[in-house]
Amino acid sequence: MLVYAARRVLAAVPLLLGVATIVFVVLALAPGDPASMYLRPGMSPETLDQIRRNMGLDAPLHVQYGRWLLSFLQGDFGQSLASGIPVKDRILEVLPNTLLLAAVAILLAFVAGIFLGVMQAVRQHSPLDSVLSGTSLFFYSMPSFWLAIMMVLVFSVNAGTVWGWPVSLPPSGMVSDGYDLLGPMARVRDRLLHLVLPALTLTLVLTGGIARYVRNSMLEVIRQDYIRTARAKGLPEWQVVWKHALRNALIPVVTLLGVYFPLLLSGTVFIEYVFAWPGMGRLMVDSILLEDYPVVLAGTFLFGGMVVLGNLLADLLYGVVDPRIRRGDG
Amino acid sequence: MKQVLSCSLLTALFLMGACADDPDTRTMDGFCETALARVDSFMATVSGDGPEGVRYGGMAVVGAPAEMGGMNAFAHGDAGAVQHQLFVNLMTLVQYDEKLEPVPYLARSWELSEDESELTFHLRDDVRWHDGEPTTAHDVAFTFLTAMDPRTGFPNPAFFQHYLPGEEGVEVVDSFTVKFRFRPHSEYMDTWRAVAIMPRHLLADVPPEELARHPIGEVCPVGNGPFRFVSRRPGDRWLFEANPAFPDGLGGRPFLDRYTYRVIPEQTILLAELLTGGVDVHVAMFPNHAARAEAEPGLRVVSFPYRSFLFAGWNSRVPKLSDPRVRRALTLGVNRGQIMQGIHGERAVVVNSGIPPVHWAFDPSLGDSLPYDPDQARSLLEGAGWVDRNGDGIRQDSEGSPLRIELILNQNQERQEVAEIMRVQLREVGVDLRPRVVEFATLMGRITSRQRDFEGVLVSWEAEFRLDERDQFHSAAVDGLWAFSGTRDPILDRYLDTLPIITDRGEAIPVWRAYQSRIMEVQPYTYLYSAYRRNGVNERLREVVMDARGEWASIRGWWIAPEDRRTP
Repeated sequence: MLVYAARRVLAAVPLLLGVATIVFVVLALAPGDPASMYLRPGMSPETLDQIRRNMGLDAPLHVQYGRWLLSFLQGDFGQSLASGIPVKDRILEVLPNTLLLAAVAILLAFVAGIFLGVMQAVRQHSPLDSVLSGTSLFFYSMPSFWLAIMMVLVFSVNAGTVWGWPVSLPPSGMVSDGYDLLGPMARVRDRLLHLVLPALTLTLVLTGGIARYVRNSMLEVIRQDYIRTARAKGLPEWQVVWKHALRNALIPVVTLLGVYFPLLLSGTVFIEYVFAWPGMGRLMVDSILLEDYPVVLAGTFLFGGMVVLGNLLADLLYGVVDPRIRRGDG
Repeated sequence: MKQVLSCSLLTALFLMGACADDPDTRTMDGFCETALARVDSFMATVSGDGPEGVRYGGMAVVGAPAEMGGMNAFAHGDAGAVQHQLFVNLMTLVQYDEKLEPVPYLARSWELSEDESELTFHLRDDVRWHDGEPTTAHDVAFTFLTAMDPRTGFPNPAFFQHYLPGEEGVEVVDSFTVKFRFRPHSEYMDTWRAVAIMPRHLLADVPPEELARHPIGEVCPVGNGPFRFVSRRPGDRWLFEANPAFPDGLGGRPFLDRYTYRVIPEQTILLAELLTGGVDVHVAMFPNHAARAEAEPGLRVVSFPYRSFLFAGWNSRVPKLSDPRVRRALTLGVNRGQIMQGIHGERAVVVNSGIPPVHWAFDPSLGDSLPYDPDQARSLLEGAGWVDRNGDGIRQDSEGSPLRIELILNQNQERQEVAEIMRVQLREVGVDLRPRVVEFATLMGRITSRQRDFEGVLVSWEAEFRLDERDQFHSAAVDGLWAFSGTRDPILDRYLDTLPIITDRGEAIPVWRAYQSRIMEVQPYTYLYSAYRRNGVNERLREVVMDARGEWASIRGWWIAPEDRRTP
């Protein structure tokens, strides 16, 4: 399995380089100038040219590309044009933040989505099914930007001051001011409190889709003969549903995990923006606006890599949930 | 098993973050490790018990919607970064007081030679860089020479345009005396209010081409101002601590123990942070948010007239905008007072030139000179040959081309509202104004490139205290970056040549007034208004004084009573 995984990853490298190259060309052809971030009143064209030279932007495009590719193949992502900080460091400092947010949201969304989907499927056409379907659809179609602001209004602004709830959640950021002065347990609590709103918002948006998917998958499975057989054998209903039916219903759902995870890394941008969460999404958007192409290229490569890994993970998980695939007889 | 793995992964991620000592986990290069270790070492020797008094202590947080550049005066020229250089982390030779008159800061005194061509500064001898090295005249000369070196790409070379180049322009008389030589010019002190001094002992060996991206700007700033840099998480926050070695003669260490600059890009969330006490100061509030904050007990809104203004700039290289009558009609056809009232209420002033209302040269008598007058606008357009020939409400020239003007602007709620109102009002006089939102880098590229690929642009401008509009309106600078209006006017040229060398304000005022009148005739721009800055302030933070100098001008005096301090 390891050889298979390694082969898949290596095969993706040319593809990712191709994607990064296309992004390089698109950025180069886009109107605007990365040096324009330094434009100030009174600046002469000569000064701007000098800034361009200092940033390495005076070379012809193919030379810039060659330089970038050479460093890239040596594992050097270059320096951010905006800050001069090595791109690797820039990404490494925000990537864990996005991974944390995405991992928590995905975990919660899959747990909640699977549970709700199963409940809806086993009670198809019941009032509970209708209510849960409506609620899922409501959150699924809700713009995450707007939902995030509503969450802040309810759980931060009004919770403590207006409604007198015992806990008012922090509206933004990853940690409080003075975090570094806290003890270890207080730090964990502080981080948890800051994580609640962004993670919950993302979970609400994701759960609806997953629940719909699980519901449909379960409805197909519980009509199968082997489920009827399980019931005929006298197995308790919970065992029929949660052990026999769910396991098979999860096979297509696993594909979702492979698709969602890489999408989340780039798709958390609205959540990161609203909650001032310093993550990959915000870094990429800021870098695109500043035309900071070394960061954009490295980020693109990373996102592309995540898509490859996500799909690989989904394939491997197929084997976990379906032994026939693992044995190669499926 | 899967659940166990997932939980373990999440727990590991959490603990990794929670156990880190510092929120900034970036690996630092050798320069930063050494520099910050020396800062820590020096700070440990001067900290002691600190001064006593109820004002000392506490942490304050300022929240702003945008990240700031950094503490490198050779590279970072955005408003937030500059204010942190001037008032927080670095020092200038002089500061302005509330009346915008220079007062001693790093320089304890200065004198100008009789022929007004030599300016000598006598520096304080008790100012130290945060790593313990003394700040001397060599640092000042180094800052000047490096900024003057074209290889540095210093963003504000206009500050030194009248100085003699290189070594001719500066002389270190002794360790704490430095002399500059220049051609006599107006507002000569303003340069030294605006340019922060940089540490020679850390940067002298760095090639000028590499200074702009040196880690001293954003990774490990070493300043000499009232607050020392502690850490930074890009896009999130900067953390500073009081500098205990700040000279007693300048008030000693600031009252606050710590000061944090937080970046919160979404304005509604920034307001939520102010309302819930997460930030003490909310910089640059929306007008409707200011009203909400004012209604909240324990909060106040500090508003003050500022140096920025909004205008629509017209590209006179485009034939349909080359006639001053057309540009004048565009201004007369827009109800600037109504737009200003609708968005800012009383907290803005209509302007007719690039001289902001806080400036001594501002001429308030020009306020009503270009009132909303659609009839006169129509008549001017007709005089210029623009007539509605087909009855569709839009004027055409003699060849039937419609008077259609594209107005580009960047994504900004206020500007989008202004552009939309302008579109509706100008339609009434037969002008088809078409606002188009473009991304900021694209906008800057289009207006500053040699092609000048635009017709009109709606932008905001922040004027310096030392005004010089030569790069915008002088014929000799028409190919420069900022001459996007393409103005060529011999009368304006004469004023622009004269004003920078009139050193006496009394003599300069009538010339400035004549200049403003001429600008109104030429109408390179439709100047709209200068809005007050609005900042929400939690009342627990005291002695917050904000004015045209900036939001952070009084930060050394900010304090929090012991009972109001938040515990970490």
